[in-house]
Amino acid sequence: MQHLDPDRLVLLALSEESEELTELDHLEHCAGCRHEMQALRDVADIGSQVRELRDLPPPPEHLWQAIEAGIAGTAAPSAPAAPVVDIAERRSRSPRSRPRWRTPLVAAAAAAVLAVAGTVAFDRITDDPAVERVTARATLTPLETVPPAAGGDVRVLSDGRLRIDVRNLPATPGFHEVWLLDPDTPGKMVAVGNLPGKAEAVLTVPPGTDLNRYRLVDVSDEPHDGDATHSGKSLLRGTLQK
Amino acid sequence: MSSDDELAERLRAGDETALREAYDRHGAAVLHLAQRLLANRADAEDVTQATFVAAWTGRDGYDPQRGTILGWLLGIARRKVVDRIRSSAREQRTTATVQAQPSVPPAGESPEKIVDRLVVADELGRLPDEQRRTLELAFFDDLTHPQIAAATGLPIGTVKSHIRRGMANLRRRWEVDGATSGSRSAGPSRAL
Repeated sequence: MQHLDPDRLVLLALSEESEELTELDHLEHCAGCRHEMQALRDVADIGSQVRELRDLPPPPEHLWQAIEAGIAGTAAPSAPAAPVVDIAERRSRSPRSRPRWRTPLVAAAAAAVLAVAGTVAFDRITDDPAVERVTARATLTPLETVPPAAGGDVRVLSDGRLRIDVRNLPATPGFHEVWLLDPDTPGKMVAVGNLPGKAEAVLTVPPGTDLNRYRLVDVSDEPHDGDATHSGKSLLRGTLQK
Repeated sequence: MSSDDELAERLRAGDETALREAYDRHGAAVLHLAQRLLANRADAEDVTQATFVAAWTGRDGYDPQRGTILGWLLGIARRKVVDRIRSSAREQRTTATVQAQPSVPPAGESPEKIVDRLVVADELGRLPDEQRRTLELAFFDDLTHPQIAAATGLPIGTVKSHIRRGMANLRRRWEVDGATSGSRSAGPSRAL
């Protein structure tokens, strides 16, 4: 029995030429050649779909920093990662300043949250510390005045960085600012940083912040008015949970 | 660029720069897989993070004889995706929050197919230049052997052998690292 030549199999697998009757006949009876042919066809088929995979965009740098944070402690301790996000020039305020409470809307919303927020503990997850480094997370939902498609996710990492991912925020001539509010004490809040004009950012929670207290994540719309306090225009809210 | 063996060696020795190198080389592929399987970008990044952290902590378990680093990482990533889908299902049962962002895989592609493409794409990138170029013209531009010979100025016999060898290389890699090739493992060429 004459098996099909390897070069010939390639041409057939690429559908560059079609099988002669004698070849079809052989393929029907020869499992080996059939298997070879199928494997080459599969490879050609997969190969033809990989064009756009050749130049995948590199993952964002904050992802590497999260990996570094995740492996810290599993090897020789190394210097802590440098702050990732440049707390932009307009942030002249101290992160721990206590802006005045400005509008009833915010207070009312905080009160509503207070009603549902339970006691949350922020223990490190101990079963597999090397793999799991998120210590708290929150899902951000839009306030009533904001289009319902808006939302976001927040992860607080064990090293104090806060990763936020937002979507469909209404456009603003100003900027978006992230806060941690104390839902139990209207007016008490910590400024965490502003969002760059893209979907995600990594900010730094000021060291020493008590996340059991400042557990309500708030994203506000801030005008460029030089006033470092909360504008009162909250867009998204979510309570941190372990 | 160091080989997988050398990289594995350094990883085992606890060299963090080896992890970074693996990440630079394959982080995009892992993130791509996670993003195709999970609805939300934050989850995909978490899975990618968890994958590399698990690769680091489990680095002793990597055996270069059994597959490449990319194949190993994609295997970990698939398990992490499953974990993530399970845990978000659990979260949704236990919390009262009504959220329209379930982390379920978008309908469509199987993880196996995505893994296959990623390993074949990686192998294509590792082929010698002329082999790679002729295969790209055959796969992406659908050119025939004579057309490839005309486009590259290579003799037809050379084109033929580049394509045959190139496909054999892709196939070998796919059979080692790919996710679907196992289903046909009865064939003789499985014995590698």
